Amino acid sequence: MRRFALPLLAASSLLLVVAASAATRPHYGGILRVALRAAPASLDPADPNQPGSLARSNISRLMFDTLVTLDNRGRLHPSVATSWEAEPGNQRWHVYLRRGLSFHDGSAVTSDAVAASLRAANPTWKIFPLGDAVVIECDAPDPNLPAELALSRNGIAKRDGKLLGTGPFAVADWQPGKKLTLTARDDYWGGRPFVDSIVIEMGKSFRDQMISLDLGKADLIEVAPEQAHRAAMENRSVQSSAPLELMALVFTRDRQSAEEGRLRQALVLSIDRAAMNTVLLQGGGEPAGGLLPNWMSGYAFLFTTDVNLPQARQVRGEVRQASPWTLGYDPADPVARVVAERVALNARDAGLSLQLSGSNSADLRLVRVPLVSLDPRVALASLATALGLPQPKFPGDSGDSLYAAETALLDSQRVIPLLHVRVAAGIGPTVRNWTASADGIWPLQDVWLSAEKP
Amino acid sequence: MSFRRKLLAVFALTVFLSVVAVTWIVSAVTRRAFERSNEERTVALIAQFRREFNRRGEEVVRRVQAIAASDATTRMALALSHGAPDYGAYLTEGKTIADNQQLDFLEFVDSQGTIISSAQWPAKFGYKEISLPAAQPTPKEAFLRREDLPDGAALSLSAIREVNVGDKPLYVIGGRRIDKDFLATLELPAGMRAMFYQNFATEFSLQLLIDPSGTVQQPDRIAPLVERVQQQKEETIELIHWSSDAGDDETVHAIPLMGQDNQLLGILLVGNSRRPYVELRQRIRSAALLVGGGGILLAILLSGWVAARVTRPVEQLAAAAREVAAGNWNTQVEVSSSDELGELAESFNRMTHELLDQKERLVQTERVAAWRELARRLAHELKNPLFPLQLTVENLIRAREQTPEQFEEVLRESSSTLLAEISNLKTIISRFSEFSRMPQPQFQRVQLNEVVANVARLFQAQLRAPDRAAIDCQLQLAEPMEPIAADPELLHRAISNLVLNAMDAMPQGGTLQLRTRQQEDRAYVEISDTGTGLTPEECERLFTPYYTSKEHGTGLGLAIVQSVVSDHGGRISVQSQAGRGTTFVIELPRKSSN
Repeated sequence: MRRFALPLLAASSLLLVVAASAATRPHYGGILRVALRAAPASLDPADPNQPGSLARSNISRLMFDTLVTLDNRGRLHPSVATSWEAEPGNQRWHVYLRRGLSFHDGSAVTSDAVAASLRAANPTWKIFPLGDAVVIECDAPDPNLPAELALSRNGIAKRDGKLLGTGPFAVADWQPGKKLTLTARDDYWGGRPFVDSIVIEMGKSFRDQMISLDLGKADLIEVAPEQAHRAAMENRSVQSSAPLELMALVFTRDRQSAEEGRLRQALVLSIDRAAMNTVLLQGGGEPAGGLLPNWMSGYAFLFTTDVNLPQARQVRGEVRQASPWTLGYDPADPVARVVAERVALNARDAGLSLQLSGSNSADLRLVRVPLVSLDPRVALASLATALGLPQPKFPGDSGDSLYAAETALLDSQRVIPLLHVRVAAGIGPTVRNWTASADGIWPLQDVWLSAEKP
Repeated sequence: MSFRRKLLAVFALTVFLSVVAVTWIVSAVTRRAFERSNEERTVALIAQFRREFNRRGEEVVRRVQAIAASDATTRMALALSHGAPDYGAYLTEGKTIADNQQLDFLEFVDSQGTIISSAQWPAKFGYKEISLPAAQPTPKEAFLRREDLPDGAALSLSAIREVNVGDKPLYVIGGRRIDKDFLATLELPAGMRAMFYQNFATEFSLQLLIDPSGTVQQPDRIAPLVERVQQQKEETIELIHWSSDAGDDETVHAIPLMGQDNQLLGILLVGNSRRPYVELRQRIRSAALLVGGGGILLAILLSGWVAARVTRPVEQLAAAAREVAAGNWNTQVEVSSSDELGELAESFNRMTHELLDQKERLVQTERVAAWRELARRLAHELKNPLFPLQLTVENLIRAREQTPEQFEEVLRESSSTLLAEISNLKTIISRFSEFSRMPQPQFQRVQLNEVVANVARLFQAQLRAPDRAAIDCQLQLAEPMEPIAADPELLHRAISNLVLNAMDAMPQGGTLQLRTRQQEDRAYVEISDTGTGLTPEECERLFTPYYTSKEHGTGLGLAIVQSVVSDHGGRISVQSQAGRGTTFVIELPRKSSN
């Protein structure tokens, strides 16, 4: 009996190993079905009329490579560019291009095409080709230029009638705002993606996306941050990123007087961010006292997020009269609405009157702005641009200069950070090789589809 | 105004007043009927509102009761009894359950009054529900309640149920919104509408007034009514003028709706359009106008016919009377009826007959009187010269019988006396003859000032004669005077007579004024003296022939003057005051009518 037992055990072990390796072995082919809430009307990464969002970056990176990429720790890596160097002063940069790359129509990626692509996205830069390189001259010293080149808006695109990129997927069908069909490029310089094509349904609500995932009609969906916890509790596969989106109140104008500054301070002190995060977002974010999340800056804990109602009332009491403010929010965003309502309630406790408004003309607006870069300086600058704040000044490369720049933005009292919100994705049971990215970008060129559900 | 026009006016006025009276009565009756109908419709609508209100209240109670008895609520109550609530777990609970139960408002509130979950204001978790009746027992029926919302407030028909699963109660407060949709469910008759005022502010606010369409046009017109109900908290009725068009007027009944603590939470406004009434009244008025116009036209025709029938005899009588007034005294009218007008015509005929008889008698009498006066005058005038004649003749006879030697001398003296008296008689006779033969004037262009100046010049010597007191003659002749058509000889004689009269009136001297003037188409001559003057009786009889106030006058001088003036188409008048003088005024046309 023992004589037969050992060979049987060995055979069984071998079968298990074979089965396990078959389950983890990459599988080419298949259609990845994706559902998105966003409904962009244009695929051009440099189109300034399209609102910036993580979903747009995700779509863009499938079709348009950038010159440089950032890893999860914010380190630069070559992509379309193989190397880069700055002239003294960091105002003029030389970026050397990878040879042998081609656009989706087979045409070669030249320094002229790259320069034209970058000019469309950065009108203030002076860009010209120089052999296999492009020379970028900024209007001011910019030591973070390589990180900026990693932004999705700087994806290399050819815009001669038809929009073409160098990314792993090419456009097969495009119904603006509704549906995008992408096919994998066999000749992609980074290697062919595993899936044959990706079909992206756009304009789907979170609820519809969840239903599609449950019904097996979608392999990858967005999950509202406030629903991520519940979805996970209901045995769905949900991947949440680090907080990648800033939810903040932005005043449309600078403070006009010291009294208005006190009123704004009272509002800051009255807001119960913890309750917003735990109840309204169901833990889908973090209370934000600063613009950058702590995981990115490392010092965000220095900005207090605690509610201090007595002090808020005291500060409010120092101002005799306060006219009501109107608080604008995106009516299509249910979380924005409930957060705005909570802000109004908190403000009322401090003696401030906030009237909610769905229109754009409001004294202050509740906005959600994605962090578009893993580089904190680039991220902060992009936030300032998106929020309509002055561009931050970085006196040096140290963390102190970043802190000083962010503090200066906060001291202007134009913006009140509320929450840093995570980004969550619902992943279907057939999706394999999903690796979470710190910047929330979906690594769709790396995933493959299993033939069977686990 | 003629009798015919008066008759026409009376007829028209009678018709008009009748139509007005009928119109007013019909309008008043119509208005009363309309208002009664409006009141009935309003009462019916209010009853319908209350029925709908109660029905919905029962429905809300039923749904809240179902929520309170549900497993979800039981689980929530159990969880709350075990410790602090996890607000995040119930954030959307209220909204989900409210949607399932078709409620607009739903809140779960713990025993401390803290909101666990709110459908209408999810962000309100952890806050106190101030409207929860903590000290009172939970009401069994639905009641009106004010719901605070993120964007304002709303009125709710709410119900509360208490869930006692654990140690502490859990309150379920659910309700449905009273808004334009609620108003839209009311079945309103044509011409009626329902509005609703949500009494969330101490002062009237335009945004709080709604109707089934959402917003009320010109809501400020309702403000006084709402404010009165806010003060008095009782049902009030008011007529609202929405525009200058009376058809837009609306009678609005305002019914206060109270909450649990007798707080005024809303005002139901039921509007009754007055357009049907105004249109009906307009139709009545149009008909009245038509009838009135037709009636007045008919009255004109009828009164014309009647007036013609009635007034023709009267007009004949009036024409006959004018004939009589013109001197045609034998005028007769036709007697065509036996009524009062016929009697009047017969009386008129009798009157003219009597007048004719009396006239003839009067003429006879006057003729006799004239002859008597003439005889008296003649006798008087002739008697004066005859008496000296008789004395002279008797003296001659006596002289021949008694003193023949002096007869020759007496004869010569007597002869001269006889001749003088006979001359007197001839003069008297010639004056009478002259009066009886006044010549017709021979008109020519005459300068009146010249005639007057000639007369003054003629009498200048007599006025300053040494044997009498001096008379100062003053001429005041208007310049320029246009010539008139007159007979200069007769005019000279007439003015001379008046000057003579003036001289006779001033035996003690005085002032004689001769004045001329012209005015429009008349020329005037005025002869004034400062003599003794005349009494009013004398003035009246002054121009009567043979009348004289003088001792030796014939009474023909002024008669001759009047005759001359009359023949020239003029007239003469006298103004006198006793003791202050007399003024004769001759008024002549500048152009003769002859």
